[in-house]
Amino acid sequence: MTTNERIHIDGSFGEGGGQILRSALGLAAVTGKSFEIEKIRARRKKPGLLRQHLTAVQAAKAMTNATVHGDELGSKYLVFEPGPPTPGDYHFAVGSAGSATLVFQAILPALLVAGRSRVVFEGGTHNPWAPPFSFIDRAFMPLLRRMGAEIDLRLERHGFYPAGGGRFVCEVGAANPLRGLQLLSRGKVVRRLASAKVAHLDASIAQRELEVVKARLGFERHELEAVAVKDSVGPGNILTIEFEDQDGSVEVFTGFGEVRRSAEDVAKHAIRDARNWLKADVRVGEHLADQLVAPFAMAGSGAYRSTALSRHTLTNITITRLFLDVEITPVSEGQTTTVSFDGAPPIG
Amino acid sequence: MARRPTVAFGFVGLVLDRPSRDGRSWDRWRPSVSLCQHEDLLIDRFELLYEASIAPLAEQVATDIGLVSPETVVRPTALVIQDPWDFEEVYGILHGFARGYAFSEDEDYLVHITTGTHVQQICFFLLTESRHFPARLIQTAPPRRKRDTEGTWQLIDLDLSRYDAIAMRFAEERHEAHSLLKSGIETRNEGFNRQIEEIERVAIASRDPILLTGPTGAGKSLLARRIYELKQKRRLLQGSFVEVNCATLRGDAAMSALFGHEKGAFTGAVTARKGLLRSADGGLLFLDEIGELGLDEQAMLLRALEEKRFLPVGADVEVMSDFELIGGTNRDLQKAVRAGIFREDLAARIDTWTFVLPSLKERIEDFEPNLDFELEEFARRNGRRVSFNQEARARYLAFATSERALWTANFRDLDASVTRLATLADGGRIRKADVEREIVRLEAAWRAAPSQRDADHELLHALLGTEALDAIDAFDRPQLAHVLRVCRASKSLSEAGRQLFQASRKLKASSNDADRLRKYLQRFELDFHDVKA
Repeated sequence: MTTNERIHIDGSFGEGGGQILRSALGLAAVTGKSFEIEKIRARRKKPGLLRQHLTAVQAAKAMTNATVHGDELGSKYLVFEPGPPTPGDYHFAVGSAGSATLVFQAILPALLVAGRSRVVFEGGTHNPWAPPFSFIDRAFMPLLRRMGAEIDLRLERHGFYPAGGGRFVCEVGAANPLRGLQLLSRGKVVRRLASAKVAHLDASIAQRELEVVKARLGFERHELEAVAVKDSVGPGNILTIEFEDQDGSVEVFTGFGEVRRSAEDVAKHAIRDARNWLKADVRVGEHLADQLVAPFAMAGSGAYRSTALSRHTLTNITITRLFLDVEITPVSEGQTTTVSFDGAPPIG
Repeated sequence: MARRPTVAFGFVGLVLDRPSRDGRSWDRWRPSVSLCQHEDLLIDRFELLYEASIAPLAEQVATDIGLVSPETVVRPTALVIQDPWDFEEVYGILHGFARGYAFSEDEDYLVHITTGTHVQQICFFLLTESRHFPARLIQTAPPRRKRDTEGTWQLIDLDLSRYDAIAMRFAEERHEAHSLLKSGIETRNEGFNRQIEEIERVAIASRDPILLTGPTGAGKSLLARRIYELKQKRRLLQGSFVEVNCATLRGDAAMSALFGHEKGAFTGAVTARKGLLRSADGGLLFLDEIGELGLDEQAMLLRALEEKRFLPVGADVEVMSDFELIGGTNRDLQKAVRAGIFREDLAARIDTWTFVLPSLKERIEDFEPNLDFELEEFARRNGRRVSFNQEARARYLAFATSERALWTANFRDLDASVTRLATLADGGRIRKADVEREIVRLEAAWRAAPSQRDADHELLHALLGTEALDAIDAFDRPQLAHVLRVCRASKSLSEAGRQLFQASRKLKASSNDADRLRKYLQRFELDFHDVKA
């Protein structure tokens, strides 16, 4: 499982941001391979490692007892030499501008390999620049469980940008090897739910968002819910639109309330993503396609069909190929892309 | 990895850090909280200072920082400040805080100056500048777009040399100052240039007396004037430049010239006289040949320096004058102290900053730039430009920088030599033959009696003062000095005239020698009685 070769990564290629680092951290923990990354976020306005990236590095370091060089604020160069992931109780907190879900993303592969762990994440849970907790929990986790993982998430407190202060717990059971899935066509949608959550803001915001969903997507009254979030320290608003098919798999689309953004505009954003997905007749939306790269590559098998791949996802695939001996083949047909995985599972 | 933890100090802002009334603390910029929200800045510890009366707000701020920045340890410290707008009180409290704080080499300190009253900010600034807080300042500003709350931050290092544009401006300013002190002459002698840099620093930073020593003609008087100009340019002085050669102050007149007198203080004191010290109030007094001052005057000068007050001759009440002093001497003052002719306490008071100006020979590499300077000066004074031809210049420089050239009166010799060359130059051109003749003159002068020239200078200076003397060409000086000596030795104008114009009297039938002499003296605004006095 361990090799001495050190993988070299140019941090400025592709998406050129924190995603490269997070993918590398996760896969290094899984494979035991060391990497060095240079030009980290070199073309960004604030280049180098920011606090949320540093937290991700420190989390991965703690889980794998890694030797790290260059883990400093503003550093554009990092060396990461992991040991094997260690099961245990962990606690990682990140400042409000960063999101706890991004830290989760960076160490998820390590958690799946380590097994038997409990991790508390604190910080932002619903943050416009990161996958929101609701999406991870409702869309991504069920697929991961179908792949064989024993993993559960529990939201204990909402944390909206900018106050943060949210909290969720991740529990992992046995470290089962993952099995690839075939997620090629979508089943019949059997349940729909639009949920507008509002914390410390006027309740009418939720109503106005739901009105738009009702009007544009034809949701029935029982498919709409307005939730007043009491446990959040700061104000916030998120609209999620869920679709569940006959197999029980779920896709989630979100819109974030922001200062100076109307409730109608928030709703329209989520509706546009949902419509694109509905129209394309694919199983996997843009964001889910991104999350699935690592677990499918770890399984070494499976395929999914998605809308056109984002730059994020393409970058993710490139990084994954550096660490894992797996063929990842994206094939585009019209507006959709099928990504298939074939290789030797690195674990189990 | 040995990253030094970052520790911030800051006041809780009574207004800016307060959450908005409806509890939506998060939709606006709050400097102390926002300081900890930046993705590219990590405050490991925040020493949050607050006025004891706003403890609940401080607690709220600390809690909110904990949310947005779990990495930050917040340590609230209550300060009992009665009046946060009272400079003395705030400074004292902050000073006490800083003195009692265990600063460590292993931590990186920032002082947040965006919050607090202006007085608190100013005190923070002053204590950071004085390194009581060994920190850099950090200033934060609200966001440009409303949807962000963290805004922007900027570090200000009070070590201004770290800023290229500012450092460059400083360098230019200093170069300008050096150039002023060197009268714009691009001197090459390293020792002299270093000395000028030192003088510049002292002139800008200190009001203490400066003592310029060095051989006669080394440029003490000119440098004193330049120091004055520099101080004036930097607004360090408003008053005038007052210059006197102490060798010209003898007897009773010396006291009165320096310290003034009351009307009727003594016979002949028909009007009150202000005196040089009072004329220099708020300005700069240059006492050349300070070693020549009488002991009584020395005592009075010392008192004036230390107390800024003294008693004019015949006055009952002391007067005030706050002046800066530059002394010039070519004497060894310490020797004069040992000989009992100079007060030890005064010497100690004025030689804090002693600069020994080198002779022309000691910085002979500066000869050429000084030659060009003198030519420019001649052009400025006489309104006509004179230049060497190439061969003549080479010859003159070769001689001037050789061992044969003694330059015993230093720059005064150079000044005189250039004046002679320029005056005698045909059509504004100095030729090799002119140079050869000048070399003969110079060598003769140095061979003859270097002291003769000094004696001439003393005599003329005593009668005319520096300004009038400066206006007289070196060409005319020996002649005038000779005339004056003859006058002094004669009983009347006619007797002097007869002696001076003896040769022409023999040739011409008759001649009014006295009239001729009177007219000559008039050219220098002198009359026979002045000379005799």
